[in-house]
Amino acid sequence: MTTPILRIENLSKRYGTKDVLKGASLTVNKGDLKILIGPSGAGKSTLLQCINFLVKPDEGRVWLEDAEVHYTHKGDLCAYRQKVGMIFQDFNLFDHLNALENVRIGLVRVKGIGKREAGERAVRELERVGLRDHLQKYPAELSGGQKQRVSIARALAMDPKVMLLDEPTSALDPELIGEVHSVIRDLGANGMTMIMATHQIGFASSLASEIVFMEDGRIIEKGTPEKIFCHAENTRTREFCSKITELYGETR
Amino acid sequence: MEEWLYIQTEVYPALLKGFWVSLALIAPSAVFGLAIGITVGVLRVYGSRPVMAAANAYVVLFRGIPLVVQLFIWYFGLPYVKIYLTPFIAAVLGFSLCSGAYHSEYIRGALLSIKRGQMLAAQSLGFSTVRMIVSIIFPQAIRRALPGCGNEIIYLIKYSSLAYMITCIELTGQGKILASNSFKYTEIFLIIGACYLAMTSVASAILGRLEGRLRLPGFEHQRI
Amino acid sequence: MPESLIAITDALPYLIEGAGVTLIVVAGAMVLGLAFGVPLAIGQVYGHPALRRTIGVIVWFFRGIPLLVLLFLFYFGLCTALDINLSAFTVAIIVLGLISSAYQSQIFRGAILALPEGQFKAARALGMSDLKAIAFIILPQALRLSVPGWSNEYSIILKDSAVAYALGVAEIMARAHFVATRTYQQLPLYLTAGVIFLVLTYLGTKGLRILEEKVRIPGYSSQGV
Repeated sequence: MTTPILRIENLSKRYGTKDVLKGASLTVNKGDLKILIGPSGAGKSTLLQCINFLVKPDEGRVWLEDAEVHYTHKGDLCAYRQKVGMIFQDFNLFDHLNALENVRIGLVRVKGIGKREAGERAVRELERVGLRDHLQKYPAELSGGQKQRVSIARALAMDPKVMLLDEPTSALDPELIGEVHSVIRDLGANGMTMIMATHQIGFASSLASEIVFMEDGRIIEKGTPEKIFCHAENTRTREFCSKITELYGETR
Repeated sequence: MEEWLYIQTEVYPALLKGFWVSLALIAPSAVFGLAIGITVGVLRVYGSRPVMAAANAYVVLFRGIPLVVQLFIWYFGLPYVKIYLTPFIAAVLGFSLCSGAYHSEYIRGALLSIKRGQMLAAQSLGFSTVRMIVSIIFPQAIRRALPGCGNEIIYLIKYSSLAYMITCIELTGQGKILASNSFKYTEIFLIIGACYLAMTSVASAILGRLEGRLRLPGFEHQRI
Repeated sequence: MPESLIAITDALPYLIEGAGVTLIVVAGAMVLGLAFGVPLAIGQVYGHPALRRTIGVIVWFFRGIPLLVLLFLFYFGLCTALDINLSAFTVAIIVLGLISSAYQSQIFRGAILALPEGQFKAARALGMSDLKAIAFIILPQALRLSVPGWSNEYSIILKDSAVAYALGVAEIMARAHFVATRTYQQLPLYLTAGVIFLVLTYLGTKGLRILEEKVRIPGYSSQGV
């Protein structure tokens, strides 16, 4: 049996008196596309941010390719984060750098690759997401969909083993969602391991290898899209799915 | 003819001497003031509670008390506790501390204006804290703080004239001496006014050029 | 130590009287600045290009020359040259007022420019003349948006007023210095003067903040629209 590429055990996080994440555990194999669904406040974002320790969990452990991540050690943490890419809902592009420089800076400043080589790699990644003509543009000059594609290119340039996507299309106008979805679909087809939180159920079900339903900080149920949407075991899962299939129509 | 002679032999050399003193006051005060401003600004945003409180107290005091009073305290007041500063040193000290408080306001504003998401993105790429400050925060903060800090330096050029009030004879002081001797107040102070106008205009132009060089889409500053 | 406290308490009434003088100078300068600043701003926004350039020069002049130089120029220079007999007190108010009008004009100009274009268009559409539109629609809004900037101007003029000491105006600084040279209690007295200025700044900005709240237009932030 192959070792899972990412293993999460018992992640928990509390803010004051509120438990936003309770004992979440997950096993991710190479090439998996796990999609987190659930109502707002379910803890999907927190889970993703705990995986790369942007949020420090109160409890729990994480293994990347069977090596436990010692997140208290700064050097280890930075090295780990280089292998885990993250896409944010708000893009978070570096405002003072153009598209090319945004993609390049991680390579130059974190990985220590020379500027020319890094630049060539950056151009390739931006071409891959369809932005060859926008290399010199600054974030203020790009549309939402373009910004998100740049942020995907930026994460990909670091050669991550796993990609975390936190509601990548929630901040986009409807007509721009498609371009980002097609990039994500291509990534999946090329074998990238991804964990994505999203409200886009139709897209999720067509792509996912596993759907993870969360509510109130807990993972309620996991299963293939067919299982979750059509004959879920848990009542709350069924309730949620029936509500969203009403809104979004048939999921298959 | 006599006027011309007077200007050449008396006015010009005296004013020139005063001008150099003014420059000697402005340059170090600008540098120290900016250094203090950056330090205090950073402390006010990233420092621990007590440090932040102390830094804020410094800013309230040095922005709230008139510069004249501050200068008097350093030059006329310190001898009370047996510290004797020359007029020049007292002036530079006063200008640096006062200017530093204003600079820290602009630096603080610039640092606070950087969206938190920038730092999240940098961290998620594996940037260490130091790298993040150097490559991501600093370039953005400079562009946001530049108009404010630049204007503060222009103010410094103008209030360097107050050094006269603690007997440091710079351009204005020289003018007062000349004028009291010759009673040609209007002419002399028009000339001095023109000198300061020239200095502030040059400084403004440099500031504008600098802002232009550093300008990026999304970082525009509306000059009013 | 105690003799410094005695000196301070003895001098306090005298200094507070000086605070009164200071406040009158500041108030006079602010009103003068407002009276000239508003027309300058209107001229700069809506005026003929030649007018705009002239105002630009005026603003550049009063913002580029140090206060002290201007005070000397007016009091010792122009007054004797034009043979006008003005007290130092009056000259201080005039000069501070002129400089403030240059800065205030830019505050108002910014506020006017921050208003949406539609305001003027709507006023014209109703049949208002330009003058009426400015008086009844633009100005009331621009003035309210300017209150925070005005409050800032108050603390600046308050501090600049101490320079009037150079002309012999009997405000806080002059009085503190007067007592200090007689009692040799320089440090305590200048510190006290500083404290008085801090108190005046605090009270003034508090008061203006209340004004700001009272006149705030719902939906507008102080940064404009």
